[in-house]
Amino acid sequence: MATQKITIEPVTRIEGHAKVTIHMKEDGNVDHAYLHVNEFRGFEKFCEGRMVFEMPNITPRICGICPVSHHLAAAKAGDEVYGAPPPRPARLLRELMHMGQVIQSHGMHFFELAGPDLLLGFDADPAIRNVVGLIQANPDLALKAVNLRKYGQEIIHILGGRRIHPVFAVPGGVNKALTPEERDLILAGYHKALDTVKVGIQIMKGWAEANQEDINKFAVFPTGYLGMVKPGNTLELYDGDIRLIDAAGKQMELFDGRTYLDYIAEHVEDWSYLKFPYYKKMGFPQGVYRVGPLGRLNVSDRMATPLADAELKAFKAINGGKPVENTLYYHYARLIEALYAVENVAVLLDDPDVLSTDLLNTRHDYRGEGVGVIEAPRGTLWHHYFANENGQLERVNLIVATGNNNWAMSKAVDSVAKTYINGQVIREGLLNRVEAAVRAYDPCLSCSTHAVGQMPIVIEMVDAQGSLTQTISRCAD
Amino acid sequence: MDFDRVRAELEAANPDPIETGHIRMKLLLFGYGNIDRQDDGVAWHILRGVAEHYQVMLPTVPEESNCVLSPAITTTFALQLTPESAEWVAEFEEVIFIDAHTGSVADPLHVEELNANFQTSPFTHHLTPQSCLALAGSLYGKTPKATLISVRGYEFGFAQNQSKQTEDLARQAVRVIISKIDQAGDFFARHL
Repeated sequence: MATQKITIEPVTRIEGHAKVTIHMKEDGNVDHAYLHVNEFRGFEKFCEGRMVFEMPNITPRICGICPVSHHLAAAKAGDEVYGAPPPRPARLLRELMHMGQVIQSHGMHFFELAGPDLLLGFDADPAIRNVVGLIQANPDLALKAVNLRKYGQEIIHILGGRRIHPVFAVPGGVNKALTPEERDLILAGYHKALDTVKVGIQIMKGWAEANQEDINKFAVFPTGYLGMVKPGNTLELYDGDIRLIDAAGKQMELFDGRTYLDYIAEHVEDWSYLKFPYYKKMGFPQGVYRVGPLGRLNVSDRMATPLADAELKAFKAINGGKPVENTLYYHYARLIEALYAVENVAVLLDDPDVLSTDLLNTRHDYRGEGVGVIEAPRGTLWHHYFANENGQLERVNLIVATGNNNWAMSKAVDSVAKTYINGQVIREGLLNRVEAAVRAYDPCLSCSTHAVGQMPIVIEMVDAQGSLTQTISRCAD
Repeated sequence: MDFDRVRAELEAANPDPIETGHIRMKLLLFGYGNIDRQDDGVAWHILRGVAEHYQVMLPTVPEESNCVLSPAITTTFALQLTPESAEWVAEFEEVIFIDAHTGSVADPLHVEELNANFQTSPFTHHLTPQSCLALAGSLYGKTPKATLISVRGYEFGFAQNQSKQTEDLARQAVRVIISKIDQAGDFFARHL
């Protein structure tokens, strides 16, 4: 019987964030825990009535963290609506911009969000368990991390021309060529970026070796896995088919992402505004799957660049070739993808077509409906547009990466709470592990908005009689 | 490189650099928010109001991050603060952060002197101005004097229009910022 409830709730000024509730039993053990997410479905309505060609500029405003993913997914959906596949040089440049996004996002996550937990410890004093504490502990590494993120941002800026709302990808192609000088500028930062990611991987491996016990009991559970691949089950982030495997690694589906409605359905629970996508044929919850770095590496057999491919082999060896189920290995998978993204920058820039000015397909074969799929840093992102004969949107459906991981994040919270929390007095470090379970998935919960002031977490324990027995507030005043 | 361009503009505009070979940038007005979430984007409208006072017209919708209002005053706008914001902030002697808030802050127009203080955001990529200052100090060894000016927001739907109340408060915020600049002493007086 659940007799107590702990709530972890970031205080925000509007909906769009998350909270954790941990329901306790009388014996002090956890009965169950949930992650509740308020979704931003209103954005789909906001898009209705807009023109399809506007969407690559409008949708990045969903999120200040991964605007490029929305920008490119919208452009890909626009390609379909207008029946205008982009010329190869445009596809290369879009992919290059996407690599910039992956580098900056993954770099920021590992070094600045996960780093404090991993490098300073889950149980470290929360006053120093943050990026400033990390800077003080290792200033050289911190500066490298900031520069890695900056490198990704500069790639985006060079291509997009603007820091805010890039106007780069358009239905049928892109509207700006890459100059030789710009190519050389990006290449100039390549080696430093590569070195920083390699350092990150060494840190991660060292941490994993020293913390096997935590890794093996921290939110380890079976699910399906979903991600984009090229032929040969090679990891793909920009354009490919969608591969779905089960918990044992058996391929369940390999499908064109545009037909996602034949395979993916969404379940509703009354305790979360965010829906729970699942594999239709298996039903809910048997058909839940994970996306993002762990999901993608589990569905991939190889990577197209040498260093990342070698690292993938090490990743695959963790569980003898079977899918890796450990939530904390999301961090390792994320760094392997960052390695691939940096290497891929050089591959793309080495392609003679990358400097071509054949950038836009102006021959349209208008279809009125289009699906754009891309692997955002956090996972698979779908944009689905239905437009009238004038190109005006009548309906929009978005499945965002964080939504795909909704069940898994809640399961991770439940698992970690049950594993680490027992007894009446809850230490801050234990609750930090619960938060870390969410952080591992790098959810984009700050979409669209921000908040003045800090975002404290308040955890309250209430006993069977409804009396407050313990309050933990973790914020810097 | 955007930053480099702004620096180049500043150097071109100032025939008498304050420091030999490298002008020290003085005041940054750093607004952030989402103009597609109504009052959440009030900072952009405030920046436009301040710019208009100095005969600079900013577009209805933000396009570029930065704009030079005078050799002493630069504006920046972003969807939200990010770690690399700290590098830019560290370039200035003084920063005014401009934001929106909800009823959790008592004053409709809130003005607060800020100290560097890193504040953890457990689930999100959220970065507060205090955290941004802490990063600037830790990473780049420079912590500018900073103020937060925030305006109460009332409507946060998916639209670009502001609520009437926030519009009124934004006009007050513009006056507060201009007054603050006017009172800032000799440097600004010489360069406006």
